Amino acid sequence: MITLSDLPAKGGSPLTWPMGIFLLGLATAPFWLGPIGLYQYLGIEIAIWILYAMGFNLLFGYMGLHSFGHGAYLGVGAYAFGLFQLHVATSLWGGLLAAVLAATLAGALVGLFLAHRRGIYFALLTIAFGQVFWFSAIKLHAVTGGEDGLLGIPRPPLELGFARIDLNDNAAFYWFVAALVALVVPLLWRLVNAPFGRVLQAIRQNELRARFVGYEVWRFKWATFTLSAATAGLAGGLFAMAQESAYPDVMSLHQSGLIVMMVLVGGGLVSFWGPVLGVILYFIARDVLGGLTETWLLWYGLMFVVMVMVRPEGLAGLVHVLRPGKGRAR
Amino acid sequence: MLNLVPHLVNGLTLGLLFALIALGFTLIVGVMEVINLAHGSLFALGAYFALSTIGGDWLAGTGLGAWWQGLPLWSRYVLALAIGPVLAGAAGMVLELCLRPAYGKAPLYGLLLTFGAALVIEELIHLGWGTGEQHLEVPQAINGAFLMGGLIFSKYKFFAAGFAILAILAVWLLLERTPYGAVIKAGAHDSEMVRALGYDLATLRLLVFGFGAALAGLAGVIMVPIWGLRPHVGIDVVIPAFLIIAIGGVGSFWGAVLAALLVGLAVGITGAYAPAWATMSMYILLILILGFRARGLLGRKSALES
Amino acid sequence: MARSTLTRRGLLGTTAAAGGLSVVNGPWRHNRVWAQASDKPIRIGLTSDASGQYANSGASDRRGMIMAIDEANAKGGVLGRRIEHIHLDTETTPATGSRVAERMITREECGFLVGAVSSGVANAISQVAQKYGVIYMNTNSSSPSESGENCHRVKFVWDGNGTNFAKAAVKNSIDRFGKSWLLLTNDYVWGHETAASTRALLAEYGGEVADEILVPQGTRDFSAALLSIQQANPDVVAAAVGGDDQKALRQQVAQLGMGSKPAWINNQQDWPDVYGLPLDNLFGVFGTTWYYKLDLPGVAEFVQRYQAAYPDTSMRVPGNVFYNGYMATRELLAAIERAGTTNNIAVIKQLEGLKMSAESRMQTYDAMIDPVTHQVQQTIYLATANPAPVDENDMFEILTESPPDAVRDTAADTACKLESYEDTPSFDA
Repeated sequence: MITLSDLPAKGGSPLTWPMGIFLLGLATAPFWLGPIGLYQYLGIEIAIWILYAMGFNLLFGYMGLHSFGHGAYLGVGAYAFGLFQLHVATSLWGGLLAAVLAATLAGALVGLFLAHRRGIYFALLTIAFGQVFWFSAIKLHAVTGGEDGLLGIPRPPLELGFARIDLNDNAAFYWFVAALVALVVPLLWRLVNAPFGRVLQAIRQNELRARFVGYEVWRFKWATFTLSAATAGLAGGLFAMAQESAYPDVMSLHQSGLIVMMVLVGGGLVSFWGPVLGVILYFIARDVLGGLTETWLLWYGLMFVVMVMVRPEGLAGLVHVLRPGKGRAR
Repeated sequence: MLNLVPHLVNGLTLGLLFALIALGFTLIVGVMEVINLAHGSLFALGAYFALSTIGGDWLAGTGLGAWWQGLPLWSRYVLALAIGPVLAGAAGMVLELCLRPAYGKAPLYGLLLTFGAALVIEELIHLGWGTGEQHLEVPQAINGAFLMGGLIFSKYKFFAAGFAILAILAVWLLLERTPYGAVIKAGAHDSEMVRALGYDLATLRLLVFGFGAALAGLAGVIMVPIWGLRPHVGIDVVIPAFLIIAIGGVGSFWGAVLAALLVGLAVGITGAYAPAWATMSMYILLILILGFRARGLLGRKSALES
Repeated sequence: MARSTLTRRGLLGTTAAAGGLSVVNGPWRHNRVWAQASDKPIRIGLTSDASGQYANSGASDRRGMIMAIDEANAKGGVLGRRIEHIHLDTETTPATGSRVAERMITREECGFLVGAVSSGVANAISQVAQKYGVIYMNTNSSSPSESGENCHRVKFVWDGNGTNFAKAAVKNSIDRFGKSWLLLTNDYVWGHETAASTRALLAEYGGEVADEILVPQGTRDFSAALLSIQQANPDVVAAAVGGDDQKALRQQVAQLGMGSKPAWINNQQDWPDVYGLPLDNLFGVFGTTWYYKLDLPGVAEFVQRYQAAYPDTSMRVPGNVFYNGYMATRELLAAIERAGTTNNIAVIKQLEGLKMSAESRMQTYDAMIDPVTHQVQQTIYLATANPAPVDENDMFEILTESPPDAVRDTAADTACKLESYEDTPSFDA
């Protein structure tokens, strides 16, 4: 079986073919979403979840640390964005900064605790922390609005000095999200193809050896955890804007599990692009099946089952098989 | 001032029920190193099969229906206690057959598959039994309440806790005191050895998964008279099972039992003194214990660690 | 349910086909009307849960909406236009509620949205609906905040809320059962709001709160709380425990035989949650907005219509959730007809302050849509388990009926700030 570490490091410019296709798709989506039977808002959610999934896969796929409580950081970002708008100032950049900082802080603190853990115990602890965040969001309803949610979060306009763009329109907001995704994804690509990324994979393959070579493994674990929490926080801030509200459900175990499923189904364990494919498949399948039948969960579940039986590596695994020259085990 | 003793008793009973809930999950994780996210759905499935066994509505019109429903409740209940788990176990075996392509690959793929299976099973329950709230009848002898120290306790809960003890002992005997147990335990860590001993690994895995699923179903039959029965009843099962396995340590049978008792006591006692924190107490317990002991109370090294 | 799953392209096809057919022998009783105003059907989005905690109530809600739509179509539609409905699963998840509402409005071109059980989902939908100016009927979510701080110009709330039910129950129960009360409260917003109204009413009528036990959302085992209740030994336990937690609590109280001593006040019992359960699960006194055996004109005939429309449904008689779904949809369609247009503002103005006769709503007293909070002020019934049921459906015994004024949620008047008409986007559906 191929894994991420079997992929040759590319180095250099992130402007590869897949990146080109990805950016092109991202940039043109508002023009073809309608004609193919989808809608603008779905595009926004997909773009936000791509951001979330890509940051998550740094931890999950590259580092091999299986977090099942990552929704917590998405939620912290969403609440931070909302609370900033409602109690500090209506400001786009201020809100997003607050979202990223709050999630980074939460991730850094939890990361300190988790960085010395491995495997299933790491995973189980992330569940426990995730549940604590979720539970707190419901319990602190004076701050968060509890299960009713934090409502009425504005979408502040984008101030660019020379221009002021209103983001209330879904198309305008999509462009803004897409621009951020187009910024973050190449950065992540650089990161995983830089020495940092090689260390992550070395740690995943053999933590002991990495330690003997002289890497302070826990620092890398901590940094990666924090970084992926920060990305989740950014996605959370954007999600709060998209929904114009924040709800505790995104922090629940079920929702945290969904991001894992998306990454797996897309092939995040074997490809940088796996999470993108997984998110797209996940949202579109859910939307299309949900519109076709009331028993959509049955078909949806079957999709996962068949996927694992036929092609466990996920969608990206399929691509690698179709193009065997590209990334066979060396 | 609250009287602590009844709450301690209550906590211990709760703990035994938690142990019962987690038993099948622990077995499958410990032996096969698969995290079975369909555990909750199999739990529900067992309960629904028991419901149909007791009710016998599907027999109506065949002539057998009236005869069956005329039998005393306890005999139908005893049969349901067997049929529910067996059918849940059969469903588990089907699931194991689906899992086969994922063996030898990252354990996460098992997670993905069982997640999908959980959705499928829950939706099939919707189709087969409807979305409504159902009631699983229990015989008069174990229903109702009794007085102890001036307080009312539920007879059924004590029956359930006693049943949990029996189930725990039976699984322990099977694993530790029979030749099958030795093979099962060997199967997880040394498949070569199992083959060398002349056992078929595929059959072994099929049986272990089926047994774990049957235990999930059994827990379902026992728990739903307390929780009520609805198609998504199983979602309340997976989290306690996760917690118990983490606190007890992966692969440790007694670790899980001990963890379940601790969780039960934590929930029972916070339930008396700070009820709003009863749910949170489980997670805090986990964080505290794993803060001091990286592998839980009695965990040993596992392939799931890397 | 093929009709509820039309895609836009499929829709174009069917309407074209229907147009062609109507020349010969159309499927509708009033082909003449269709021929005149056959421009496009009125599309209604049904936003009810089909999975998650409220899947069962969501299905009942949906049946109510669909029956109202089918009846309107059988009479020739509204404004001569046929009514179509689409359902998407809101999954008892607020984030899904937002997405579904966006899709309903922007892709499916729904001019109206109907349906809710969970207040989180209802809030998510109503925010999106307000953004587009789409009228939204919150059929069954009973959190006081729905018509309080989370009210909206486009949203109308059809269920009684926690405060209404508390008002119906408290004074009565102090007189009947005693002054010492213990509150058993689900530790989330709905629970706290309901408990707060109970506290206020106790203070007003001379009852006292002996203790309050908070139980976290998701509690499946109430044994610790039930032991504490026995140790405290109050006259009355006022429970504000909802959803699946309530179902577990009911079962456990029944097992202990604690349903009559102490006396229990359960805020509200939704019919789909209790239908088919043994009667001892229905302990204590609880509120409801409607019961299928109310001795009022039209009720029996309504039940027959339900049974004719849903011959295969396991729930053999309609309950309060179905009733709210039906009434909300029927009144929406009637308001469009009266407005003479599908313009949202015109329809909103038809609904605001609308008086509905007791007879038309099959309740004891006249009801009104409050123009300030958009909540339907209606009769609230207190019920208990029926000691002498005539058949297996006859589970409730109605104890009292309170007129809307007596149970009015007065706090909502100040908490609710509706958006102005000018701030609500206007369009013709």
